[in-house]
Amino acid sequence: MSALDFLSPVAADAGVLARSPMELLAVDAGARLEARDGWNVAVSYPAAAFGESVSWCDTSHLRKLQLQGELDESLPFGTAVRRDGVWWCRLTAGRALVVGARPDVSELPYEVVDVTSVFASLTIAGPLARECLARFCALDLRPSVTPVGALRPGSIARQPGTLICEAQDRYLILFGWATAEYVWSVVADAAGHLGGGPVGIDQLQELSNA
Amino acid sequence: MSRLAPQPGERIDRSKQISFTFDGKRVTALEGDTVGSALYAAGQRTFSRSFKYHRRRGLMCVAGQCPNCICSVDGAPGARACTEPAREGIVVEHVNAEPSLEHDVMRITDIAGGPFTPPGFYYKTFIRPRKLWPLYEKVLRNVAGLGKLRKEQPEREWRTEYRRRHADVLVVGGGIAGRAAAAAAAGAGADVVLVDEGLAGQTGPLDGVELIAGGSALGSFDGLVPVWQGDTLHQIRAAKLVFATGTIEQPLVFAGNDLPGVMLSGGALRLAQNYAVLPGRRAVIATTTDRGLVAAQALRTAGVEIVAVCDLRPEVNELGSELRRAGVPVFAGHTVIEARGRTGVQTAVIAALNPSFATDEHEFDCDLVLMSGGATPATSLLLQAGARTEYDERRGHFAISELPAGVFAAGDVAGVSGDETVARSGELAGLRAAHELGFGDADARGRLQVLETAPAAEDKAVAVAPPVAGSGRGKCFACFCEDVTSKDIGLSIDEGYDSIELSKRYTTVTMGPCQGRMCQLQSVRLMAQHNGTSLADVGVTTARPPWVSVPMGILGGRPVEPAKRSSIHARHRALGATVKWAGDWRRAYDYGDPAGEALAVNRAAGLIDVSTLGKLLVRGADAGAFLDRLYPNRFSDLKTGRIRYGVISSDAGRIVDDGTICRLDDETYYVTTTSSGAGAVEEWFGWWLADWKMDVRLTDLTQGMAAVNLAGPRAREIMSAVCDIDCSADTFKYLDGKLGTVAGVKALVLRIGFVGEVGYEIHCPAAFGEPVWDALMEAGEPHGLKPFGLEPQRILRLQKLHILVGQDTDSESTPFAAAMPWIVKLDKEQDFIGKWALRHYAEQPESIALVGFTMSNGDVPTEGAVVLGEDGSPAGQVTSSRHSPVLERTIGMAWVPAALARDGARITISDVGRQLVAEIQTRPFYDPDGELLRS
Repeated sequence: MSALDFLSPVAADAGVLARSPMELLAVDAGARLEARDGWNVAVSYPAAAFGESVSWCDTSHLRKLQLQGELDESLPFGTAVRRDGVWWCRLTAGRALVVGARPDVSELPYEVVDVTSVFASLTIAGPLARECLARFCALDLRPSVTPVGALRPGSIARQPGTLICEAQDRYLILFGWATAEYVWSVVADAAGHLGGGPVGIDQLQELSNA
Repeated sequence: MSRLAPQPGERIDRSKQISFTFDGKRVTALEGDTVGSALYAAGQRTFSRSFKYHRRRGLMCVAGQCPNCICSVDGAPGARACTEPAREGIVVEHVNAEPSLEHDVMRITDIAGGPFTPPGFYYKTFIRPRKLWPLYEKVLRNVAGLGKLRKEQPEREWRTEYRRRHADVLVVGGGIAGRAAAAAAAGAGADVVLVDEGLAGQTGPLDGVELIAGGSALGSFDGLVPVWQGDTLHQIRAAKLVFATGTIEQPLVFAGNDLPGVMLSGGALRLAQNYAVLPGRRAVIATTTDRGLVAAQALRTAGVEIVAVCDLRPEVNELGSELRRAGVPVFAGHTVIEARGRTGVQTAVIAALNPSFATDEHEFDCDLVLMSGGATPATSLLLQAGARTEYDERRGHFAISELPAGVFAAGDVAGVSGDETVARSGELAGLRAAHELGFGDADARGRLQVLETAPAAEDKAVAVAPPVAGSGRGKCFACFCEDVTSKDIGLSIDEGYDSIELSKRYTTVTMGPCQGRMCQLQSVRLMAQHNGTSLADVGVTTARPPWVSVPMGILGGRPVEPAKRSSIHARHRALGATVKWAGDWRRAYDYGDPAGEALAVNRAAGLIDVSTLGKLLVRGADAGAFLDRLYPNRFSDLKTGRIRYGVISSDAGRIVDDGTICRLDDETYYVTTTSSGAGAVEEWFGWWLADWKMDVRLTDLTQGMAAVNLAGPRAREIMSAVCDIDCSADTFKYLDGKLGTVAGVKALVLRIGFVGEVGYEIHCPAAFGEPVWDALMEAGEPHGLKPFGLEPQRILRLQKLHILVGQDTDSESTPFAAAMPWIVKLDKEQDFIGKWALRHYAEQPESIALVGFTMSNGDVPTEGAVVLGEDGSPAGQVTSSRHSPVLERTIGMAWVPAALARDGARITISDVGRQLVAEIQTRPFYDPDGELLRS
């Protein structure tokens, strides 16, 4: 085992599933879970029809890699670059975050640390996604200021976080793994009041395709 | 019910009747009424009792600006009847009067209480004899205040929201100027929010503008304008701010000016025009501008007999002449000097003021006195946004003289009058704001130029109201909220409070619910008159938020509390753990039996969740050298797979944090810190790295890694059952760190411990925290494994005399005084943080030392109890103390004079009135030589 292997949430035993910190909350909300790529993932909820308001989806299983080194202009500040279904996000002069499936980084001249379990994430989507976020986040999410692909590190629910505008009315928020239960409660409170609810990753895909 | 015929633009729906109660009596209203308009229509004239004197007060402004109609609605105090919408079934009650509005016993303060309640009376009366203060306080608290809160409110009854909104342009004020500004800015392409206190039906939508109707801007905080609307606090951040907040009609100061039936001319007009309520039958009107004359005409049309109009201006203008032609006596150069009556106005006396004494008096029987002392711009929000004002002698008020960049004033507040001019000024402000942000096409820019060069409208003549008229005829109120009279202002100046800020604080003028709307200008005039200075010299008080009274619940927002939880937290809850705060983490303190849990660790095995530990990855060619600079001991010589304890010192050589460091490979170190110090250490490391620019990368893994500590005589067997690492004593030695698989999960296992037993600390990704915990609990069950929490951990580490940074140490504690001289490697060639100071400390004897102590009589001193020196004076303190179940005695740590820091020495502890004797022990109480730990 290399020195940093133990950081990756890839079990040595295939029978051990990695779990989101929001799993129990999802179960309480009626989620159906399935094992996907070594994770126990909420794939659907029974009454998820929030196309006119806002939905939120636990996407903590997304792989996250931290790159450190001399980053070039192909990773501009303030923008998340989409490459092969993966978001490449430059955070500082020498640090970037890669979010999504694990890309092949072996040829890249950066130091790579698996930080999947450092950041939990939720995807918030729907016509009222911005309104929902406005209940607990002071980032300026107007499309003129935060267009699709924008990357916004900032305060989310009074915690350090990062926001990616993935598409129109769709935002990915990343926050500390240990704050997940709290962030879920904040999002559920805000979105629920707007008539929204949780969706599983399969339902999120359907919403995106609609 | 005195309702007029339908009025153009009236707000009531005559086809829909509703009812509510006022002080238990049913009141019939029409939909669209306010509580105030409905009550007035039903004949109610006394709406409240004043703050100090408990004088009758009636509707005055009918715009939510004065305090005269404050009431309680459905148990919530602080509502203004004149703006509170009437709704079916609401329960409205008076405030500040006992036993009733009509008969208030506290009226005695008006009749006879004068000598006892001068300005600042609470500094002079009710303070002797001192021992009676508790009684005075109880009485005063019961009689003070405007309304009562319910004592019992077990749950939040009302959902309040925060809503953040960014905008290009925020316009505050939805009148002619504000709407023009919003429309112009939106037309140019800006993202515009318009806030208006009026309701949606009154203000109406505008294309491209988000309208927040019924919203009150509370203040201006460096570009952030919070707006309260119903249940929501909108936190609006705009690049440009346009304030079109209008003006506030001003009352006049004369004897009896607070009687029910004395109203602002605009208030009477609002009653008549908005709610079709006859404000009175016979009116005397006193004015300094055309406002009062316009009101006279309109009310005469509505059916009010205008018995006299006094216009303070020396000449009667065309409007006044019209009234004269209609048979209304108009007195130029006159004003009202007294209003008389018992429960309301019955007589008004007017006179010419020449210049400060009254001549040519006339008395009129009336039931309504309308006053219009000019209007003052509503500049509070502008001032909070950085604007400045100066006294305008011609207009008799403080006008905007300077605006900061990005802030615009439009309409009446900017000193512009006349509908057309006001609209143009709004359009100009809106276009300017948009233009500064780069919005607007060529047409918009052309229009902007036209507006900027348009001539200003001619000002109409105004008279400046006298500071007071009718002195000596009765109380002349400058401040209706706080019952401050013109005499009170003079008294405060005579007592030395001769600046407006001092007088304000002494008399409390402008500090009431109206926040100076009705009284700021009046108090400045009175001060200038009494001091013989100009109003410009007196100036105004500092404008502060909130501009309107706002419920605390609105400011509170949602009741959510940020908390960090370990990925294993659900297991602790399921096991019935007592969960408490430890910093910003929720942690298991115990599982119901802290002593038993501690004993289990010493007798069999225990498992604790230590996921809250700070965890930093330090990587790079210079990683070892970097750590050598940060710590007083060495890490560059640490072998791969080995662990060393470290203490971080500050520049001054004081203990900042502690933890362990494991070397994973040539360039990689895994650093742990205390839970509460994690953030600070990460910042510390990052800050120094930015300065030293070494080849090192830092990664904060604190939240990303779960960690559990398994300790006890059976720990080895349990560990061996769940992992693929050879845990034999010879192979996995104390302070070894190994990578392996635990419960099917890749993990870093550290052979460390702070509890005097064989221990393994397992670090794995947080996503696997639960399976690892479950596997260990299952494997440990046959061995008597128990989970243990923070409280038993504190007992166990105390048994080993392990310090808790921040509990046993403070900002002055050095490693030498804390009995850790071995951690300081002054022979390191590498310079390190704190070296200079530590070298100095090494050469000086310590005056104080951290030691252990023990007691066998069962007493457990309070943490923080004082250690007495030989002379009985305080010489140290107890930092930790517990009863040790395995040792069956009290153990603790304390700072003591260095001379006492020897085994067997006795110390006296003074603890909440008792004196305890303890014996010093400098070596760990349990496993003093570390044999168990290293076994």
